[in-house]
Amino acid sequence: MASVSLTNVVKAFGAFKVVHGVDLDIADGEFVVLLGPSGCGKTTTLRMVAGLEDVNGGEIRIAGEVINDRAPKDRKIAMVFQNYALYPHMTVRQNMEFALKPQRLSKAEVDAKIAGVAAMLGLDVLLHRKPAQLSGGQRQRVAMGRAMVRTPEVFLFDEPLSNLDAKLRTQVRMEIAKLHKQLGTTVIYVTHDQVEAMTLADKIVIMKDGHIEQIGSPEEVFARPKNLFVATFIGSPSMNLFRMTAERGDTGTVLSSPAFSLLLPVELGAKLKPGQAVTLGVRPSDVRLAQAGDADAIEARVEVVEYLGVEALVDLRIGTQEFIAQIPASERPALDQAVKVVFNPAGLHLFDSESGQAL
Amino acid sequence: MGIWKKSVLAAGFVALMCGSALSQDKPFEGVQLKMLGIGDTSVTRLAKITSEFEEQTGAKVQIDMLPYPGLIDKIIIEASSDKPTYQLLWVDSPWVGMLGEAGALQDLTEYAKRDAAEIGLDDIIPVQLQENSWQGQLLAFPASGMIWHVNYRQDLFDDAGEKEAFKAKYSYDLAPPATWQQFHDIAEFFTRKKGDKLAGKVLEQDFYGNAESYSRVQGAITHDYFPIMRGFGGDYWDPATGLCAMTGEPHVKAAEFMKSLVPFNPPDYLGLMWDIQSGYMERGETALSGYWSVRTVRLTNPEEAKLPTLGKAGFSGGPTEDGKPQPTYTGSLSFAINAKVSDQEKEAAWAFIKWGTGEKIMRRLADEGWGISQFRKSILADPALQEKYPYYKVLLDTQTNARRRIFHPFYADVEENFGVELSKYMAGETATAQEALGNACTAVNSRLSMFPLEQRLRWINDAPVTVLQK
Amino acid sequence: MGYVNRRNRTIAGVFLLPTAAVLFLTTIYPMLYALYLSFRNYDLAKPFIPRIFVGLANFQEVLTSGPFLHSMLITFKLMGVTLFFQFVIGVGLALLVTQRLPGMAAIRTLLLIPMMISPVIVGLVWLFIYFPELGYFNYFIGLIGINPIPWITSTQWALTAIAIADIWQWTPFVMMGTAAALQSLSPEPYEAARIDGNSNIDVFLHVTLPQLKPVLISLLFLRAIDAFKIYDIIFVLTKGGPGDATETIALYIYRQSFTFWRMGVGAAASFVSLIIISVLITLFFKSMQKSAAAR
Repeated sequence: MASVSLTNVVKAFGAFKVVHGVDLDIADGEFVVLLGPSGCGKTTTLRMVAGLEDVNGGEIRIAGEVINDRAPKDRKIAMVFQNYALYPHMTVRQNMEFALKPQRLSKAEVDAKIAGVAAMLGLDVLLHRKPAQLSGGQRQRVAMGRAMVRTPEVFLFDEPLSNLDAKLRTQVRMEIAKLHKQLGTTVIYVTHDQVEAMTLADKIVIMKDGHIEQIGSPEEVFARPKNLFVATFIGSPSMNLFRMTAERGDTGTVLSSPAFSLLLPVELGAKLKPGQAVTLGVRPSDVRLAQAGDADAIEARVEVVEYLGVEALVDLRIGTQEFIAQIPASERPALDQAVKVVFNPAGLHLFDSESGQAL
Repeated sequence: MGIWKKSVLAAGFVALMCGSALSQDKPFEGVQLKMLGIGDTSVTRLAKITSEFEEQTGAKVQIDMLPYPGLIDKIIIEASSDKPTYQLLWVDSPWVGMLGEAGALQDLTEYAKRDAAEIGLDDIIPVQLQENSWQGQLLAFPASGMIWHVNYRQDLFDDAGEKEAFKAKYSYDLAPPATWQQFHDIAEFFTRKKGDKLAGKVLEQDFYGNAESYSRVQGAITHDYFPIMRGFGGDYWDPATGLCAMTGEPHVKAAEFMKSLVPFNPPDYLGLMWDIQSGYMERGETALSGYWSVRTVRLTNPEEAKLPTLGKAGFSGGPTEDGKPQPTYTGSLSFAINAKVSDQEKEAAWAFIKWGTGEKIMRRLADEGWGISQFRKSILADPALQEKYPYYKVLLDTQTNARRRIFHPFYADVEENFGVELSKYMAGETATAQEALGNACTAVNSRLSMFPLEQRLRWINDAPVTVLQK
Repeated sequence: MGYVNRRNRTIAGVFLLPTAAVLFLTTIYPMLYALYLSFRNYDLAKPFIPRIFVGLANFQEVLTSGPFLHSMLITFKLMGVTLFFQFVIGVGLALLVTQRLPGMAAIRTLLLIPMMISPVIVGLVWLFIYFPELGYFNYFIGLIGINPIPWITSTQWALTAIAIADIWQWTPFVMMGTAAALQSLSPEPYEAARIDGNSNIDVFLHVTLPQLKPVLISLLFLRAIDAFKIYDIIFVLTKGGPGDATETIALYIYRQSFTFWRMGVGAAASFVSLIIISVLITLFFKSMQKSAAAR
């Protein structure tokens, strides 16, 4: 088991830079998820750690040793690929045996390892089958098993669940979480799915256009997004954004827009200068219907109501401003009705409109 | 030839052409003749001047020239077709029996008798007419008369140093070989390595004492083996059974003799067939090479051979075992008429044969240096031409003491089976000559023995050609 | 086809008719005629020999004839040698030209040229190369002090010479097919093997080769049929000689049919070789089915 650290790691294909100086420290045994939209450089970063791509700048360390120029096989890593990368003509057992072949173990050792992993993953009955005879989920488990038999110090997962259907994805996701708890091995996991990231990660690394936008625990990136990109990327439905201007009011700092005005709590108001252009972020779950006696209720029109069972999503409009409220299904209003809503004061996020950075 | 003589000839030609044009207005106007021919001297010489025939007779002649290998295939397919394409067929005399028995060729006896004076029937060496006959019928007309004989490097034979060295080694004078032993000695004597001296000059490449055909392709090896076998006194058939008889003493001796020449031949001897073999002689790279005279004629023409520019060719008849002349095999490269064409086309084709094989054209080609292996006594005996073409005397002498070569309907079986078996023997794949010859004869006889004795005897019987019977 | 009604089937039949007619005239009729000939004593050059029914005599003659069995031996010898080298070199070249290196596309195109030349021309080209006195081959080996080799005129070398020419011509075919298959392979298993540290040889033997197997079997099959019929190059270079050193089945059939003019024996020999090819095809499909079932 090992720590991994990236220092100012750069990757370029010709003149085209895809990873711009990434810094990242991964502690031993940590489960780190690289999250971002496609093309953000997360997979390239992972492949550099794996040694499948050359590093054009900076250093990568595993267990403290710089491994930039080491062959993949000498990095004590194992990788699980998006398309499983199983050898199609080999049985499950042969796939695992082939992965172990370079280690030159005795037959007994090989058998023991395979038996152990197969038991852990429930592959016992599939050992004699070929990949074409397996379901998607089974193949994914075999791919993991093949990685596990090598007992690496770091596991690398490259979008391992993206080829599975939704139900299976949840199931395998839980298995991965369980395995990590069991094995305690360091994991670097690439995905574009925030649910996977939130559920699996000890630490989420959010990337965009080859830059790291934020590193933090799932709670941190959800509760305290460092910028507008993270704020909108994490959370579903996305955070509502309102473009506002700060004004000095009688009782404190007021945000105003043509649609509505909002008195800020004191600690937030203190961060603003009068006349400053800010973007107010409110997660749909922090929007609720106003009750009698609520001050600062905002009136909005109901455009769409999406019933989800426990909850409902309500699309609201004030003039040209649209936003979403996530409320208990029992409270959902009727269409085209005018409703009053209030924002949870603790759920207000302020971003500088110009830089997009959190204030 | 002097200018005077030439101009008289030319004038005569012009007069003749005008005369014929005036007296008879092109008898074959509109007739189209096609000939399935070969690309060697018996055709190429003539092909250049066929327009003259058209001017005289009105018949257009087109000659398709194919290489020898494969030509007989086309002729057989042409012969088995009901709608002929070719009126004229080039025929190698060994094919006469097969094509004759198949009824593919027009009997020319009546034409030849009718035009005996015009074609100079008496001027043709009789064996050449016999050579083109089948069961007495004249099925083709000679365009080139051939014998197998020896070509040698006259300039080396005349070299004093070489003569002296030869005499010292073999205790007799260096001269054209009369016996096979002498042939062997000469071949051995002149086999030299690169760097050795030949006639006083250092050789820049290996020099070969001998070049014979050893290739199986198209039975090439048999084209040398059979004449050599004849020189040892052998023959093809058993006159009592009509079966292959080439397993006797002369036959074995001939095969062993050819094998004994291998060390003196070029390293690619198994690939040598007529054109490659004669190429060694034409380039002056061998001292001695026996082959058919159809290619001999190139040795005196600097446009066709390098030899005249670096030495001189000498010519002699084929050797024998005891030095006494044996009747040698003749051959004939001939023109025949497809039996299936119309009478008018036959007449036109016959007119072409008369024109193309007549003394006038033959003499003219000889005068111009494009010699043909001749078959007319008047030309071969002409002292001026004998002076110019030393091989004419050899041709004349040997053709008068000759026997016709194979003419059996199954000649292809003989040629092919002996070609392969002899080639294998020469390559060392078959242990003994006896075994090789036995294999070949067995293969031939396995086909012949199915036929009644009477038929087999008829096939080997050389009935005298009726056109010569008074 | 279950739902196609009778009318549609008639229309389909009409559309198939021209193809069927061409197939019949160019393939089926000649084959039936050859079958007819194979039971007859048919000498094209000697119409005076009765062209009678002889039963299985021609087949009996072919199967008991030394030259035919010899030609079979030569054919399989040549097939074995040429296929071995064509596949070893062809697969090697395919691995090379599928590398992402500059200029590989051009090299690949150049390497395909031999395959695009007619075999007769290939024969003539190699005739120049092998020509005993003036050939390039002997010239070049002469430069390094090796004595001239009678390539096509010695019984020891002739089959080798033909094998070299055939390998030269058909290796690109194997290369092309293999390269196409290589490019369709998913890259991920290779990356997995790289990470696991499997050696290149192990990866080639256990990852690449098994995945190429279906393609290689198809190529092998096509080459085997072609090699079985090899004729043109030999006809140009040696015509079966020297002796009978390069006489393959096709040459034997040619010799029977067009030198001896024994069309019946030639046809019988053709059928014997047709049966051999058919057995090869059957074995091939059996093995294909087996490997398909294993998937």
